[in-house]
Amino acid sequence: MIFKINSISPALQKLIIGLLFCHGSLTTMAQNPAPAPAQSKSILIKNVQLHDGNGKTYNNASIGFNEGKITFLSYLNMDEKNNSWDSIIDAKGQHVYPGLIALNTNIGLSEIEALRAMNDYSETGSINPNARAIIAYNTDSKVTPTVRFNGILTAQITPSGGLVSGNSSIVSLDAWNWEDAVYKSDEGVHINWPSMNVYYGQKSNEEDFEKKQKERIEKELKNLEAFFEDSYNYHLNNKPNPKNLILESMRGIFDNTKKLYIHANFAKQIMAAVNLCNKYKINFVLVGGSEANMVINLLKDNNIPVILGQTHQLPLREDEPIDAPYTLPKKLQDAGILYALSCNGFWQVRNLPFIAGTAVAYGLTQEQALSSITINAARIAGIDKTTGSIEIGKDATLILCQGDILDMKSSVINRAFIMGKSVSLDNVQHQLYLKYKSKYNID
Amino acid sequence: MTYISAIFSYMKKLLIIIAFLFCGISSIIAQQNFPVNGVKNEKKIIYAFTNANIFIDYKTRIKEATLIVCEDKILDVGNGITIPNNAVVYDMQGKYIYPSFIDIYSSYGIKAMEKSKSSEWPQYKSSESGAVGWNEALKTDYNAYQNFSINQKEAEQFRNAGFGVVLSLRKEGISRGSSTALALIDENPNKALIKSKAAACFSFNKGNSTQVYPSSLMGAIALIRQTYYDAQWYALAKNKEKNITLESWNELKNLSQIFESDDKLNTLRIGRIGDEFGVNYIIKTSGNEYQRMEEIKKTKARYILPLNFPEAYDLSDPYDAANVSLASLKHWELAPYNPYFFEKSGIDFALTTDGLKEKKDIFKQLNKAILTGLTEQQVLKALTYTPAEFLALNQLIGSLRKNYLANFIISSGNIFEKNNIIYENWVLGERYIINDIYEPSIQGKYSFILNDQSFKLTILGNLDNKAFELRKDTTKCTAKGNFKRNRLTLSFEVKNKTINEFYRVSAEYNNKDFIGKVQMPDGNWQNINIKYLEANKDTASKNNHLKNENNEIKVIYPFCAYGTENLPIEEEVILKNASVWTNEKEGILQQTDVWIKNGKIFKVGKNLLSTSAKIIDASNKHITSGIIDEHSHIAVSHRVNESGLSNSSEVRIADVIDCDDINIYRQLAGGVTTSHILHGSANAIGGQSQLIKLRWGKSPEQMKFEGADPFIKFALGENVKQTNWGEKYTIRYPQTRMGVEQIYTDAFTRALEYENQLKNTKENPVRKDLQLDAMLEIIRGKRFITCHSYQQSEINMLMHVADSFHFKVNTFTHILEGYKVADKLKKHGSGASTFADWWAYKYEVIEAIPYNGAILNKMNVTTAFNSDDPEMARRLNQEAAKAIKYGNVSEEEALKFVTLNPAKLLHIDSRTGSIKEGKDADIVLWDNHPLSIYAKVIQTYVDGICYYDSERNKRLQDEIQKERNRLIQKMMNQKDANENTQKPLLKNKKLQHCNDHELINHQNDNHDF
Repeated sequence: MIFKINSISPALQKLIIGLLFCHGSLTTMAQNPAPAPAQSKSILIKNVQLHDGNGKTYNNASIGFNEGKITFLSYLNMDEKNNSWDSIIDAKGQHVYPGLIALNTNIGLSEIEALRAMNDYSETGSINPNARAIIAYNTDSKVTPTVRFNGILTAQITPSGGLVSGNSSIVSLDAWNWEDAVYKSDEGVHINWPSMNVYYGQKSNEEDFEKKQKERIEKELKNLEAFFEDSYNYHLNNKPNPKNLILESMRGIFDNTKKLYIHANFAKQIMAAVNLCNKYKINFVLVGGSEANMVINLLKDNNIPVILGQTHQLPLREDEPIDAPYTLPKKLQDAGILYALSCNGFWQVRNLPFIAGTAVAYGLTQEQALSSITINAARIAGIDKTTGSIEIGKDATLILCQGDILDMKSSVINRAFIMGKSVSLDNVQHQLYLKYKSKYNID
Repeated sequence: MTYISAIFSYMKKLLIIIAFLFCGISSIIAQQNFPVNGVKNEKKIIYAFTNANIFIDYKTRIKEATLIVCEDKILDVGNGITIPNNAVVYDMQGKYIYPSFIDIYSSYGIKAMEKSKSSEWPQYKSSESGAVGWNEALKTDYNAYQNFSINQKEAEQFRNAGFGVVLSLRKEGISRGSSTALALIDENPNKALIKSKAAACFSFNKGNSTQVYPSSLMGAIALIRQTYYDAQWYALAKNKEKNITLESWNELKNLSQIFESDDKLNTLRIGRIGDEFGVNYIIKTSGNEYQRMEEIKKTKARYILPLNFPEAYDLSDPYDAANVSLASLKHWELAPYNPYFFEKSGIDFALTTDGLKEKKDIFKQLNKAILTGLTEQQVLKALTYTPAEFLALNQLIGSLRKNYLANFIISSGNIFEKNNIIYENWVLGERYIINDIYEPSIQGKYSFILNDQSFKLTILGNLDNKAFELRKDTTKCTAKGNFKRNRLTLSFEVKNKTINEFYRVSAEYNNKDFIGKVQMPDGNWQNINIKYLEANKDTASKNNHLKNENNEIKVIYPFCAYGTENLPIEEEVILKNASVWTNEKEGILQQTDVWIKNGKIFKVGKNLLSTSAKIIDASNKHITSGIIDEHSHIAVSHRVNESGLSNSSEVRIADVIDCDDINIYRQLAGGVTTSHILHGSANAIGGQSQLIKLRWGKSPEQMKFEGADPFIKFALGENVKQTNWGEKYTIRYPQTRMGVEQIYTDAFTRALEYENQLKNTKENPVRKDLQLDAMLEIIRGKRFITCHSYQQSEINMLMHVADSFHFKVNTFTHILEGYKVADKLKKHGSGASTFADWWAYKYEVIEAIPYNGAILNKMNVTTAFNSDDPEMARRLNQEAAKAIKYGNVSEEEALKFVTLNPAKLLHIDSRTGSIKEGKDADIVLWDNHPLSIYAKVIQTYVDGICYYDSERNKRLQDEIQKERNRLIQKMMNQKDANENTQKPLLKNKKLQHCNDHELINHQNDNHDF
């Protein structure tokens, strides 16, 4: 049983806080909770509304899991009594969801945006496919538990900046260290497609400004093309001498053992990216895609999955429909494109479920929206064999939620399990809340 | 003597000889009292131009008239006047004579200021030397007449376009000193100078000034305002320091005052400054004033209009075409109408060539304007009489009368007709020939025969630019030609089977034909007789987009997407059977009607009946009070920060409301009805804020929340001490929280001293200090603070400062550590306007918690959630709902965080913030529980006017597409007609130099957290 202060009576809360203060050290207050130990006892959660992430929902369902894997689902006509459960949670009226997956985030790579010392997501230089985000991933970030608090249990830790930013890794958001956290390491390389827009310059030398930008675009595209050519040629040789760390880290892209994530928002960029990747027969994942709706057939014909950039966003242009970003998920859904929703930044990622909620207000069903932050994300990241939905044999990475997880008005997460481990939902912000409630003697 | 110096000595002599040569030429029109090198060559000839159509002024044409001039003056003009015996007489039969044009906005002969290298470090003080004013953007002591030099090339371009006199100014700085009126003659600056100080000039553009202040448009306006007061004070004060800037300012006061504007809203702002200081500005406009003609009319200003109508965009790439906004497309179509709109509104204006790539384009542009309905008389007035009048030179130039300057144009016919030819432009009695008046018109079709082969020649084009088309039978031959002084030279090639043969003709004009010689390919000479056949057929110019389209001329308000020709009007409406979130003790009323009438909530109750009201079925829907955003930076022109000073309390958001910001409409769609538009947090004491209602389509003045208490933005912490501004920002005081307190204490202390001076000093006038005026208003409870704040220590500090000056801090905004001092806030009486869940973006928010709102509310501090972000402002209802998630605030209370509570913080809760009879009908109809993420706005009313309606929104979306397509087709047509085009570049209003990543992720730069 985890220490869950939320459900304890106020009187008991005060007592607990009192005890904590008795220890005399405030530092114990501002601590992240300890990572949970591996699941040692089987658990059955009963009487829930179960959302499987694959688009189905079941009333009065029960879910059982043991040794980190889902072993029982009541709606599959399995006999509940065949298993003996060490622990049974009757969660009548609550919802079970797969753990949410946040793609393209720098949780653990940044602690305070404005402080240089606290940022480790953007390496200097332009071409860094060899940089690995995972080794900079800080499991002790104070931000992570606040994100977990809203049901995000898995994340793609992603570097950014430059033309080629480096490798992302998938982690579970409850760990002692990065080795512990890894779910899938160095699973993909991230490329930021060069800007192909030309902007107005200052009045004085507008023509020159335009020309310079065009030269810049041409140069960057040529650099990128040359980099692909070099990487491709290098990969043809199994034993290159000398070994080139930069090109070596691109090898997986060409033999399809590693994903290529291309960050691009504008139609022209996306078309150019498709063109280049087709030349090398690379399948890539589009990240961003603000104008994905303008190239929807191209994406579909080329089977390109999309991680949509934050859709809580203003339209790109004043003439566009005012709800253009909000309606984008529905457009991809209707076109049959595999897509996931995402959230900019790190601390902001706790709002991922609400980004999905907005997509429901603008056309998706709740289950479709849930898929876009669970199983779709898992498919895109290539981890769907083991996680991303509630299925027998998959990881018991799931959430028990008081209300609708997509709606902040009712979303209160009571329990979270990562591979069967009952992880703490406590965090420094909640601790400060309790500390000051106690100071003012309020409920 | 060394070899090198010998060379120098030789070169020196050479230069002197060259100099003398030039002097020799120029002495023809030498300065009156200058010594002459050589023999005096003075001419005093009387010229009489007879039988002409003379426009003695813009509205009076005299036929068969005579103009008599001598030296630089007109001796006489009219019918039946006596021609002096000794006059040289030119018969002008059929020709037209006009007063030469006047361009009242040019930089002719003025050297632009060289850009000084800006320092790596921010520069807070003026870098000017001498006893000048504090701000280097005020170039008040600059005088164009002391700095001009004759520029023959430029003068010729002006003269060829019909101009005789220009006003020259240096386009540099906010105050630009004096401009000068110059005649466009090629020699003798002493004669060219017509009026030394002709007009004082101003702009909002600080130009090459490297001083930080003003870093914003509102700062520029504040600087102008304060300088007016300073100059008034300077004129009266005794015992003052010398200040050349203020002295010059006062000296220029009685001249015409010309103010350059680069947008219609700036034009209105200039009008307002004029009203404030009793100055009737002549405003040089940007050319988009037709988009706000009603308000322009009310300025009562006089105008100078440009003719640089935008070129069509190159839209051949459909993806690039998406980057051109509807506003730009429409402006392309309507810009030529701008002068016509002014004429129609009865506003006096002059025209200028300023902004035209070439001066000669003026006629092409005028033709466009005339096609829109602008009258020729008005055009002539705007180029002659009006500019002369604006410069108080209408007794000297702009008309052709006795004793006026001899500045006139001789043309073949009506100067505004397409095929008209300007022959001569006389300036100060000096004759400048543009086209040979005696040159025959040789345009037409001809034929000739060479070696039994028949050729057809067509001569096209105008006087100075002819085109020659030659055909042998039906085959086209390449031909080049030239016609000067009655001689035609023509060379052409004839393609034979193997080689190309070249023919060269030289022939004399002879009674319509040409007779001469041709040298054949074999070198032999032959006679040639090129016979005139007939005149060219008039090929009407293709698809001139201004013809017959008056039905398409629709100005929309605001002039951008989602603007409409007719604004929604106030209606009497009953919304029936809704769940009504009253925010009053009645709570949430089910199955209840809300009746709005005369802009107010008339009745709230069940089964309301009316025959006059429009009925809207709102069953299963929710009605709330309109959302009030306590902290917003939308709808601001230029920047929201004036970062040039640590105290910029003199700047006013009220001066820079941008009614065209699309975010106003987008936020209406999120249920926002009132926004508190704040200065940014770049300094301890920011600027005065402005409360607006989101009356989409209305003018800036109409958006202002009438009668609302004035507020001012303060800020604490990292932004103020420039922590995250970069390594170079370590100069401006304060750099620590310690210094922030001292800024406040100092400002309030000085304000009290100032108050004392105002009360007690009678004789020596006290300088009106707009900064201290604002500080004093705060102390005296006439202006209220909303203070950007994060950490508890500084929040505590400001309350102490306020206590010591006996006032209250009205609101702390952001206040992410408010929960740590909730008890102190309550005691002091401050409210809190915070974020729902923001943190970790900088060090001072490291202990921010999403439970902040819940704790503050629980502690009875008036608590609001604000946006500070144009995107999030569209979802403030959802932010409010986070107070339920984090801290168990009740639903009703949570909704008040974005409605009633901010209304209280802004002192407008007697008019807004709840659904109560008699309050303003600022209400929102939702399709779902208003705190749910699934809720969308169906309608938003402000003052009972439905400014957003989801159905209408869909229609507008379709109309935008239709209108875009119509304009794109039209533009493509224009492009095919070989008009000049410009590239469609992505124009981001707020961020000019961002990359795509920034465009996507940081397009919301208008926030200041």
